Amino acid sequence: MIQLIRQRTLASFLSLVGLIVLVFFLSRLTGDPTNLFLPIDATQEMKDQFRALHGYDDPILEQFGRYVWDVLHLDFGDSVRRARPAIGVVLEAFTWTLRLALITMTLVTISAIIVGSLAAFRAGGFFDRFASLLSLIGASAPDFWIAIVAIVIFAVTLGWVPTSGTGSVWHWILPVGVLFIRPFGLIVQVVRGSMITALSSAYVKTARAKGVKNTPIIFVHTLRNAMLPVITVMGDQAAALLNGAVIVETIFGFPGVGKLMIDSILQRDFNVVLAAIMVTAIAIFIMNLLIDMAYAALDPRIRY
Amino acid sequence: MLRKLLLVGTALAATGVQPALAQSDTAVTIVLNEEVDLMEPCMATRSNIGRVIMQNISETLTELDVRGDAGLMPRLAESWEDMGDGTWRFHLREGVTFSDGSAFDAADVQHSFERAFSDQISCETPRYFAGMELSFNVVDDHTIDITSDPAQPILPLLMTLVTMVPSETPVEFVREPVGTGPYVLSEWNVGQNITLTRRDDYWGEAPEVTEATYVVRSESAVRAAMVEAGEADIAPTVSEIEGRTADKNFAYPNSETLYLRLDHSMEPLSDIRVREALNLAIDREAFVGTLLPQGTEPAVAMVPPTTLGWNDEIEVWDYNPDRARELLEEARADGVDVDQQIQIVGRTNNYPNATEVYEAIQAMLTDVGFNVDLQMYEVAEFENIYSKPFPEDRLPQLVGAMHDNSRGDPVFSMFFKYHTDGTQSGLSDPRIDSLIEEATAASGEEREALWSELFAYIHDEAIVDVLLFHMVGFARVDEGIEWTPTIATNSQLQLSEISFN
Repeated sequence: MIQLIRQRTLASFLSLVGLIVLVFFLSRLTGDPTNLFLPIDATQEMKDQFRALHGYDDPILEQFGRYVWDVLHLDFGDSVRRARPAIGVVLEAFTWTLRLALITMTLVTISAIIVGSLAAFRAGGFFDRFASLLSLIGASAPDFWIAIVAIVIFAVTLGWVPTSGTGSVWHWILPVGVLFIRPFGLIVQVVRGSMITALSSAYVKTARAKGVKNTPIIFVHTLRNAMLPVITVMGDQAAALLNGAVIVETIFGFPGVGKLMIDSILQRDFNVVLAAIMVTAIAIFIMNLLIDMAYAALDPRIRY
Repeated sequence: MLRKLLLVGTALAATGVQPALAQSDTAVTIVLNEEVDLMEPCMATRSNIGRVIMQNISETLTELDVRGDAGLMPRLAESWEDMGDGTWRFHLREGVTFSDGSAFDAADVQHSFERAFSDQISCETPRYFAGMELSFNVVDDHTIDITSDPAQPILPLLMTLVTMVPSETPVEFVREPVGTGPYVLSEWNVGQNITLTRRDDYWGEAPEVTEATYVVRSESAVRAAMVEAGEADIAPTVSEIEGRTADKNFAYPNSETLYLRLDHSMEPLSDIRVREALNLAIDREAFVGTLLPQGTEPAVAMVPPTTLGWNDEIEVWDYNPDRARELLEEARADGVDVDQQIQIVGRTNNYPNATEVYEAIQAMLTDVGFNVDLQMYEVAEFENIYSKPFPEDRLPQLVGAMHDNSRGDPVFSMFFKYHTDGTQSGLSDPRIDSLIEEATAASGEEREALWSELFAYIHDEAIVDVLLFHMVGFARVDEGIEWTPTIATNSQLQLSEISFN
């Protein structure tokens, strides 16, 4: 296990370095933020001064060397747009995203496993059809539409929850609800498929023959075996959430890292883009490691 | 299960989970469309920042009356006089204090300028003083002489753009702005909200609003929903659809002018007949109430009608496709390459329906015989095409752009858009250059007359571009609030102008 962690850390570190190099040079290929930061009729003098102040007039390799040196000293540079340390801006946003992802994925996991397992148990029955229909709608509905409709119904018409923003626990209901739908739909389908396979295996027949009741068959014997593909898909979905739920963040005014990244790319706020990529990449690396460990825990045949 | 759900629902409703912020009667919530990334006084001329701090936290020496016709009004300067030789003397208001308690005096004025012009900080202010050398002479605590070389006849008007900070303010972007205004920044939760609280020791009349909270939602439907649900009191910009449906909505001219900038350095746009044909080929009326909202006005100048020198005699180009075809034929007969492909360049999401507007223009131009291509770009790429130096290997371009001037004088527009050396100018006309230079240096009625002459020359004689529309914005306001948007609402929203019903 220790060896797994060591290997993965090394591999992830190398890909992180590659990613930073790539993003650093690619983003600078598009130009610098001068024209976007300054007003459109700024004088050439103002532009030159801005470039000198932020070092955009230095050769690109020199800029890269300086960046690497600073990062090695844990200085990720300032956000041009916000005039404060980029890493602070990113970590602030990332905590929101992390909480949103954790809450959503916990709810998705619990409910998708229950619904998917029950649907699989009587495959083709009423509950199965109903759950499949719901999950297909969920997996295919566009979330910007769901979000706006949810605001109109639950916030404006019924007045149960706030339209958007942050501040109280009630503010989380709509964003989490909207984010919940798609991974839920997807994972229900995966759980169902995987459970159907597991339920038709020989050990289930044996258990039934012994007279084991349905509930322990589903939740004790089969579920554990059916979980491996489910965990893989969950990892994918969680990674997508950690990258930021741009649409939900935009609509609900949620200060997460997805919207921050998009805004920073559009504004060419390079330091924020790089810091955001580093933070999310590290988070996803940690998550992948946890998933690998979960494989081993669920299936004793898997050894690292 | 269903019963449980219903129970939970009722419980939620009963406990009054209403988000409706527990505010006092004199607090307001304003929902903006753009993130406020800085709270820096010297950046207050940038609209996303200005809407929060301009005249609320930070004040200027003078102020332009955008609600009435009082013109230039005193703010921190009580009066000013032209001392000759480019020097203006400003008499400052006495008894004014900053929110940190220090008194406002002439030394603060000088520091505010020097800080904004420093090369250690990228303020917006210097753009308004391009080509001017300023010097300061503190006469006494409440009198300061500001000299401009060359002389600047509208120096008092330019003072509406420079916010005052205390002498102690460091030369770097601040996060806790200190100003003389009626409000002070009391809370800033980045990405969530900004709260301003009314000061007790403000020099002027105390505004009715005691506390203002700003939140940002980039989705127009959400901004409108917030006002409807009672979570916000004012949404200064919503889309037309939301702006039309509820009771208390306003459509207002927002000082943006849409036009096509033409590249005179290339055939066929270098030919005046071709430029006239472009103007005649576009049916401006057809856009209003269809692709663009009702209230949009066809434009005859780069600035809105409230600007100095506005010329009533200029008439909007008629829609006359037949005449446009004739003009093209005449040009062709004279050897002008009218079949050369020309390109409309637009900026995606510049305004609602931007792409559709340019597609319609493309169709109208094609209809009279132009060979037109359309390219839409993101903001960064667009700016590269719109501003000099123009790309080398370009087609003859019609660049669709919006320009905002709510500042009362054409000087903020004309040089950049029409002078040979202007950053976004696609032409070089000695008459236009000299008119701009003369008008910029003139004052009073002479200035007004020169601008007026320039507008007519640009539109009717030289036909240098295709002026399209003065745009409108929409605002949604809660019923308990008395506030109307103005032509300057894009760039500032004075809390002192809000009252309660």
